[in-house]
Amino acid sequence: MVIKSEQGSSTSAVTKQKKQRQRNRPRNKRNRLEDIEDKSEQDSAMQKSSSNPQQNASADKTREQVMAEREAKKQAKLAKKQKSITPATTIITEVEQTTITQKLTTTTTTTTKEQSQLPLRSTNVADPKTASQSAQNSTDSFNPTAPASEKTREQIKAEREAKKAAKQAAKSAKSNNVDAAAKQLNNLQVATKIEAAPAAAATATGAAATADHEKKKPALTKAERRAIQEAQRAAKAQGQAKKTTATPGTVKSAAGNSVKATPNVSVTTHKEHKPDKDDKVDSPAKSPSKGGTVKADRECKVKLFNHLVSADKDASLFINDPNVHPSMARLGVQYAQRTIVGSNARCIAFLHALRQVVQDFETPAKKEFGRSLDVAVKHHVDHLNKCRPLAVSVYNAYKQFKNQLTQLPTDTPETELKELLGHFIDTYIENQIGKAAQAISSSMQEKITDGDVLLTFACSSLIQFICEEAKRRKVTFRVIVVDSRPFCEGQEMLRRLHACGIPCTYVLINAISYVMPEATKVMLGAHALLANGYVMARTGTAQVALVANSHNVPVLVCCETHKFSERFQTDAIVYNELCDPNLLVMDEKCSLNNWQSKSRLTPLNLSYDITPPELVSAVVTEVAILPCTSVPVILRIKPDIGY
Amino acid sequence: MREQPLKEVTQLIHAIKMGLVEGSYSITNKTLDIFKYIIMSKSWDSADALMQIVRAQSRILQAALPQETVTSNIARRILKLTREEFELLQAKVQHFADDSQASLSLHKLVTQTSESCVSVDYSVPQQGLREALLDHLQEVETELETSSENISVQAEEHIHSSEIILTLGHSRSVENFLKRAIKKRQFLTIIVAECAPACRGHNLAATLAQEKNVEIIVIPDASIFAMMSRINKVIIGTHSVLANGGLRAACGANTVALAAKHYSVPVIVLAPMYKLSPLHLCEQDAFNMVGCAEDVIAYDSMPARDAKVYSPMFDYVAPELVTLFISNAGGHAPSYVYRLLSELYHPDDLEL
Repeated sequence: MVIKSEQGSSTSAVTKQKKQRQRNRPRNKRNRLEDIEDKSEQDSAMQKSSSNPQQNASADKTREQVMAEREAKKQAKLAKKQKSITPATTIITEVEQTTITQKLTTTTTTTTKEQSQLPLRSTNVADPKTASQSAQNSTDSFNPTAPASEKTREQIKAEREAKKAAKQAAKSAKSNNVDAAAKQLNNLQVATKIEAAPAAAATATGAAATADHEKKKPALTKAERRAIQEAQRAAKAQGQAKKTTATPGTVKSAAGNSVKATPNVSVTTHKEHKPDKDDKVDSPAKSPSKGGTVKADRECKVKLFNHLVSADKDASLFINDPNVHPSMARLGVQYAQRTIVGSNARCIAFLHALRQVVQDFETPAKKEFGRSLDVAVKHHVDHLNKCRPLAVSVYNAYKQFKNQLTQLPTDTPETELKELLGHFIDTYIENQIGKAAQAISSSMQEKITDGDVLLTFACSSLIQFICEEAKRRKVTFRVIVVDSRPFCEGQEMLRRLHACGIPCTYVLINAISYVMPEATKVMLGAHALLANGYVMARTGTAQVALVANSHNVPVLVCCETHKFSERFQTDAIVYNELCDPNLLVMDEKCSLNNWQSKSRLTPLNLSYDITPPELVSAVVTEVAILPCTSVPVILRIKPDIGY
Repeated sequence: MREQPLKEVTQLIHAIKMGLVEGSYSITNKTLDIFKYIIMSKSWDSADALMQIVRAQSRILQAALPQETVTSNIARRILKLTREEFELLQAKVQHFADDSQASLSLHKLVTQTSESCVSVDYSVPQQGLREALLDHLQEVETELETSSENISVQAEEHIHSSEIILTLGHSRSVENFLKRAIKKRQFLTIIVAECAPACRGHNLAATLAQEKNVEIIVIPDASIFAMMSRINKVIIGTHSVLANGGLRAACGANTVALAAKHYSVPVIVLAPMYKLSPLHLCEQDAFNMVGCAEDVIAYDSMPARDAKVYSPMFDYVAPELVTLFISNAGGHAPSYVYRLLSELYHPDDLEL
C-alpha cells in the first residue's frame, strides 16, 4: 500500500540535489519573491479580512475555503507571536517542526535552539536553498482538494508523527555525514524564514517534512503523507490569497516549473511523482468537484437541512485516491451508488473490504503494525464516509476493529497478526450478524402463529430471515409489504418473500390505513437504535408504527445489538442523510422535471426517520425482547458495542 | 318501478367514468346543470312529481358513481329548495286565511302542534314554483362558483408569515387557498407530500412555485412523519365530509392527520358546503375504491404475479383528528357538522 520504491533511490539524492540546486537557483529566487509577495498580500488580506470584498463578498464560500482561511489566519497569528516571544514557547506545527529540525542539527552543530534560530533569521533572506525550496514549491503543486473537514485532528496526528519520525531521524543522523547535516541546516533556514512569512508557513512544514524524508525516507512515509496534506491545505490557502489579487496562475505555474525541474532529484522525484500524477488526474476532476459543490448547494437548499451535506456522487473523486485500497474504493462507489444498501449488508461488505485491506497491508519500515494499520484504516473509513455517511453498524464494526488493533500483541509476526485480525472480522460477522439474526429469529418464531398477518415496511434482511424461518416451520401466515417511493425497496422484499412462497400483499405507504386493520403484527427492521430508545430506520417506518398504534396493532422492531448507537436524537432533522432529490422525479412528463430551474421548488429525499419509543411495543434483539427504553441497559452490559 | 336515466345523466356518468369530468367542483356543476334542465322541462306539474324525478335521477347517479357523493348532495339541496319554495308559496296563498303561518315566530314554535307540520301536500300543483325554483337555483350556482374564492379569502385569518405548512396531494381549494396565503404573507414554506402513486402533489408544487416569496418542498409520502415536527399547520382538501365530521379524503390523509395529532399540529380541512354529505361511514371497506395497481407495481414484474396489490383511493380520517373545517360559509368545528347538515338538507331527504 505504501510507497515502496522510494527506498532504492535515496543514495544518489545528495549529489543530484546539488546539481538541481544550481540549476534551479534563478527560478527559485523568482519563486521565492513571489512567495514573499504572496505572503504580504495575504497578510494585508487578512488584516482587512472583514472588509475585503473579494474575499468576503463570497457568501457562498465553501466550507473548505473558510477552513483554509482560518488555518492561514491561525498561522499568521502564530508567526506574529513567534516574532515577539521566544520560539520555543509556541506550540503549533511550524514551531515543532523547527524545534525538531533543530534537534537534528544539534547533533552536528551543537547549537542551542536560540542560537540556531537567531543566525538563521539573519541569513535566511540571503540564502535561498534550492533543494528545500523546490520541495516547497512542489508542495504547492499538490492537489489542494484534501479533505479539510477533519483537518485539525489529522494535523495533530501528523505533528505527532512528524515529531516521532524526526526523533528517529535525529538518532540516525548521528551516523550521517556532515553534508547531510548541512543540508538539514539549510532546510531549517528555509523553514525558519518561512515561519516569518505566515502565509507560507504550512508549506514550510511540508518542506521540512520532505527534507526530513529525503534523509530518512523509510521511517517517514506516514508523516510525509500527513505533512503533504497539510502543505496542500496551506497551498490552497495561499492560492486563495492569490486569487484575491487576480494572479491566480502564479502558484500553479511556479509549482509546475519546479515539478518539471525536479526529476533530477531522484528521491524527491519519486515523492513528487505521485502527487504530480495526482494533480494531473485531479485537474479534470477539479472542475466536476466544483460543480459538485454548486450542486450540493442546490441540493441543500432546503433551509432546514442546510447542515446536512449530501454525499458527492462524483465517482472520479473516489477512484483517484492512491492511498485507498481498490476494495475500499469499490465499496465506496457501491455505497455512493446505493448498490449496497441496508445496514447489515453495508456492515458485511465493509468488513470484507477491511479484511482485504488488512491482508494487503504492508507495514512501513520501523513502524508498528497496529498503529500504521490503524491510520490506514482510518483513512479508508474517512473515504467511505465521504462516499456516503457511515451506517451506525459500520461505525460500530470499525470501532470494534480499532479496539482490536490496540489490543494486538506486539511481539507476534505480522502475518499472524493479520490472521488474528482476519479471524476477528470473521467472528464479528458470524456472531454479531449471523448468530444474532438466528437468535432474533428464534425468539420471533414464538410470536408468529397460524393465521398471522405480518406487516412489514421496505426491505430488511432480518425480517426476511424471520419470515423464511417461519415458513420453514410451516406456519400459515401472510405478509403485507408496505413500500414507499422513491426507492421502492419493498419490491425487493416482495421478490424475496415471493421466492420462498409466502403469500404477500403489496401496498404503498399511503394505503397503510387501508391494510392495517388486517394486520395482526407489525415487524420492522431498523438502521440503528439510539440510546434514548428512538428507532432510526428507513423513512416511513415511523409512519407505519404510528398507524399501527392507532389501530392497536403491536409493533415489533427487530434489531441486532451491533446496530445500537450511543447517540441521542429526538427528531429526524438534526442528523439525517439526504439522498438524490432527482429520484423523486418520476418521468419526463412529471411536473417536477427541471426543478433545478425553478428557484423556489426543491424536492427533498430523506433517508431515515426516527420512531419515538412510545410507538414501539418491543425491540427484539438477540439478547432479549425489550422495551425501547432499555437500549442504554444493553449498551452498558455489552460495553464493546456502540462507543 | 325502475326509472330510466335521462340522456344527460347517462352522458354525465359516462364523462365522469372516462375521466373527462374531474374534480368535485365540475361534477357538482354538471349535476346542477342537469337538475336545472329537469326543472325547466315540462315533465312535472307538481312539487311532488319534480321531487320524484330528482330522486330517481340522483339514485341512478349514485348507483353509477357510488364514490361521488356530491351528486346526491346537490340533489338533496334541490329537494330542500323545492320543499321550501313550495311551502313558501303555499304560505303566501294561505296568508289571507292564516296570518301566523307566514313566519316562524316564538308563538308559533310554542303553539305548533305536531300534526300541523306533518301534512304538507306536495302533490298540489303550485303556480310560480318553477320560476321561484329557477331563481333560487341561480343563487345556488353563484354560491358554487364563489365557494372556492370564499374559502381562499379566509387564508389571512389562518396563516401568519413564515409559517411552515404541509399539504397532501393536489386539491383545487387548497391550491387557491395557499396562493392567496402566499400573496398575503411572506416567507411561507409549503411542504407538499407527493401522494403516490399518482403524485399529484408534484403538480401542486409546480403551480405554487410560480409564486414569489415562497419555498416549496416536495417530499415523498414516507417523510411526512419525519417532517411533521417542524410543521405549523396542515392544510388539506377532502373528497367529502361525513356526517360525524370525519373525512373521506385522499389516500394518505389519515397518516397525515395521525402524525399531526402526534405532534399536536392543527389540521385544517378545506371543504366547500357541497361536500358535506349526510353519510355515516367509518370503515374503509364501506366507501373506499381501489384504483389501478399498475402504478404501484408493474404488472409484468415477477412478484406482481402472486402478490395482492392494492391502490386504494380514499382514506377515512376520524373527526377527532380534524381541528377545523373551513367552508365557504366560514369555519366550523367537526362537532358542528351535524348541525350544518340539518340546515343544509331536509331530514326527509337524507335517504334518497
